[in-house]
Amino acid sequence: MSTTTIDAREAEVSYLSEKFTLWSWLLSTDHKRIAILYLISITVFFFIGGIGAAVMRWNLIEPGGMVAPETYNRMFSMHGVMMVWFFLVPSIPATLGNFCIPLMIGARDLAFPKLNLMSWYIFVAAGLTEFYAMFAGGIDTGWTFYPTLSTGYTNGFVKVAAAGIFLSGFSSIATGVNFMVTIHRLRAPGMFWHRLPVFVWSHYAVSVIYVLATPMLTMTMVMLFFQRSFGVGMFDPRLGGDLVLYQHMFWFYSHPAVYIMILPGFGVISEIIPCFCHRRLFGYEFVVWCSMAIAVIGFFAWGHHMFVSGESIYSALVFSLMSYVVAVPSAIKVFNWVGTMHKAYIRFDAPMLYALGFIVLFTIGGLTGLWLANLPADVHLHDTYFVVAHFHYVMVGGMVTALFGGLHFWWPKMTGRMYPEMWGRAAALIIFIGFNMTFAPQFLLGWAGMPRRYATYPPEFQVLNVMSSAGASILAIGYLLPLLYLPWSLFRGARAPANPWDATGLEWQTPSPPPSVNFLATPIVTTGPYEYKEPEVLEQQRQDG
Amino acid sequence: MIRALARLGLFWVVLMAVAGAEFVVSGRHIPAGSRPLLLVFALAMVAVVAFGFMNLGRAPIIAKAFAVAAVFWLIVLFGMGSMDALTRNWYPVQHYSPD
Amino acid sequence: MAEPQLTVEPEFQYSSLFAQAQTAVAGMWLFLAQECVFFGGMILTWVYARYWNEAGFDAGASHTVLWIGSVNVGILVTSSFVFACALLFVRAGQVRLTALALLGVIVLGSVFLLLKGYEWHLDFVAHNWVNDPDFPVKGPLEGGAKLFWTFYWVGTVLHAAHMVVGIGLVAYVLRRTLRRQFTPTYHVPIEVVGIFWGFVDIVWILLWPLIYLIGRLP
Repeated sequence: MSTTTIDAREAEVSYLSEKFTLWSWLLSTDHKRIAILYLISITVFFFIGGIGAAVMRWNLIEPGGMVAPETYNRMFSMHGVMMVWFFLVPSIPATLGNFCIPLMIGARDLAFPKLNLMSWYIFVAAGLTEFYAMFAGGIDTGWTFYPTLSTGYTNGFVKVAAAGIFLSGFSSIATGVNFMVTIHRLRAPGMFWHRLPVFVWSHYAVSVIYVLATPMLTMTMVMLFFQRSFGVGMFDPRLGGDLVLYQHMFWFYSHPAVYIMILPGFGVISEIIPCFCHRRLFGYEFVVWCSMAIAVIGFFAWGHHMFVSGESIYSALVFSLMSYVVAVPSAIKVFNWVGTMHKAYIRFDAPMLYALGFIVLFTIGGLTGLWLANLPADVHLHDTYFVVAHFHYVMVGGMVTALFGGLHFWWPKMTGRMYPEMWGRAAALIIFIGFNMTFAPQFLLGWAGMPRRYATYPPEFQVLNVMSSAGASILAIGYLLPLLYLPWSLFRGARAPANPWDATGLEWQTPSPPPSVNFLATPIVTTGPYEYKEPEVLEQQRQDG
Repeated sequence: MIRALARLGLFWVVLMAVAGAEFVVSGRHIPAGSRPLLLVFALAMVAVVAFGFMNLGRAPIIAKAFAVAAVFWLIVLFGMGSMDALTRNWYPVQHYSPD
Repeated sequence: MAEPQLTVEPEFQYSSLFAQAQTAVAGMWLFLAQECVFFGGMILTWVYARYWNEAGFDAGASHTVLWIGSVNVGILVTSSFVFACALLFVRAGQVRLTALALLGVIVLGSVFLLLKGYEWHLDFVAHNWVNDPDFPVKGPLEGGAKLFWTFYWVGTVLHAAHMVVGIGLVAYVLRRTLRRQFTPTYHVPIEVVGIFWGFVDIVWILLWPLIYLIGRLP
């Protein structure tokens, strides 16, 4: 990358210090401020969803349960809905993506800044609607809302919940359109496609899914709302309707959605690892193509959620094959990251600890997904805790870990402050230990046959459940720590230089925090991404041996 | 400008003609299973509107790419979505008549 | 009277007005790709419902008001033609003709909606509401017919909602045209709204056979 001389005096006025009023934040079209607004919102929703998890794990300490079954049903439904749509789906893209993409491509803002602000308002409106649904009475259908329970036989706030999810879709679509068009059209001179950081490529891939999968969710919610309102609809078997059609429509969105909930994490990890190994990313072209492949092939695998729901065996075969195929690009990426680390001089700062945790946990989660993609195995494992453990390993062990890693990595850039490194590393380790203690037993529980979404269980499963709940409390401490030390660092943290990690990337060539226009002069890009020079020691070693 | 207007007028005539043909053909007795083939007329009309009125032919390349992507995704949606319905073993049930 | 000089600046994140225009057009096509999946999902329900219940589905479809649906296709296709003319006029600098054409689109769109409203009234009078106890199709075909009418109500209401938004957008560009905010070189809001309008037309072109023609003869 070209080195822009950074004049510290010119950096006096950053995007944070330009204006301090509340309205300057709430009406800001600056992508950096909107990223912060999103960060605050998703943190709130993360903790609301966390309450659901806490009640669930509390209940599962005893085989007979600790709360009423109806309450338990509402808790797992709330946890799923909040965590999926109001935390994970926006998480990295709306926060780190919004903040970093224009900086990484050398642009002054996104293509449609007002649309960006509108997407945040829609997101908040949707979240408040959902919050109302969950706490005015809740739903007990699970986050999947399968009819005919959801359309006729439940007493919950299905319509309000469906409305909230319907609204949140517009926010996703707006973000996706904004990112894709921005990446196509606002790149700085010299920033060719093959010079883009993988973080940008990952967000392009995610945006494809945002734009093309979310409308299916919107239509599904419309159909659900209609049937619930009028008692008549496309999913009513008494009329000749097809229940499995609902599942097709729902999973046509929700399976690509799980790639929304991992691809940005891949992007973050692909930035952190080269930086802390001070080494070029191994196989850049492979990582890029694999990101796009996952986004596309991910649309062909949705039927693996319905193997035992009554879909035809022939379509199940096709979906099973596609599920295996889509695992290949993910595996390739893992090999690329590990290849980047091979014989490198690694710095174990907090972001790197998160990245290492990601590789371990995501690999376990991904491999267990293949077990579920296997038709006969899935007959045994479907709707058991094996599935629950699998998706928590990929979504929480993967995406949330990557989110925390990215937050720590770009925290100096976003806030101009360094977080306390010791606490950062401690939190990363506590999260890793707590996470494994929570979810590893669940693989065993699922294999032994414990069903998911049940408030009670046979006594022989108690030991593993108690272990899981104990792990959850450790995990909770791990998640609480950053909530304490990150705001602390805003006031007491060391001031961050423009490039504290000695990383490549255009975002590190501008002051921390950046000025409102991002770059004081339009950058001209002359080299590819990840142009790290290896330390001379290693260079010498390689020449010798 | 007159030539351009005439060109648009020609597209309008073509659209009306295809719609008329579609209407006439729909009045004929075609077996119920084949009637969806009427959509071929509709798809022709869609193409004329997209290229004639929405100027897809003169749009930037990525706009064309987005349009192609939309068509591709619809093929996946309808193709893989119908796959289940078309290959399922159908066990008819008694139709429910609410009284 | 000399026309006042109109200088339009690109927004700060764009290098030129041309780049901004191309970006807006691209953004609208991407938005339409999303709309395709939205309506495509709805049409998938048509596929399933009709595949499993052909006789009942077509029995329900035969009760639609064919003449209104068909006249509306003509109206919308004509409105797309008129909008395309508006684009030609603005490129030729003919402000008054542009405004007239845009007004024509609004009028045609409003006629469409009025006819639609009348059609819905007729449908209610004929008891074609899904929950109506006097639903005309009874017996073994009732289920399929009710599935058809579910599709009908969802599809026509959603399409009408898009029409209302479309008319609002056309009114917006008409207002800007009357305020002389467009030139032969800068008129991208008209282009972008035109692309959206064309799509609303396309949806009706596809809904017309699905609703009115395929099940016409049970």
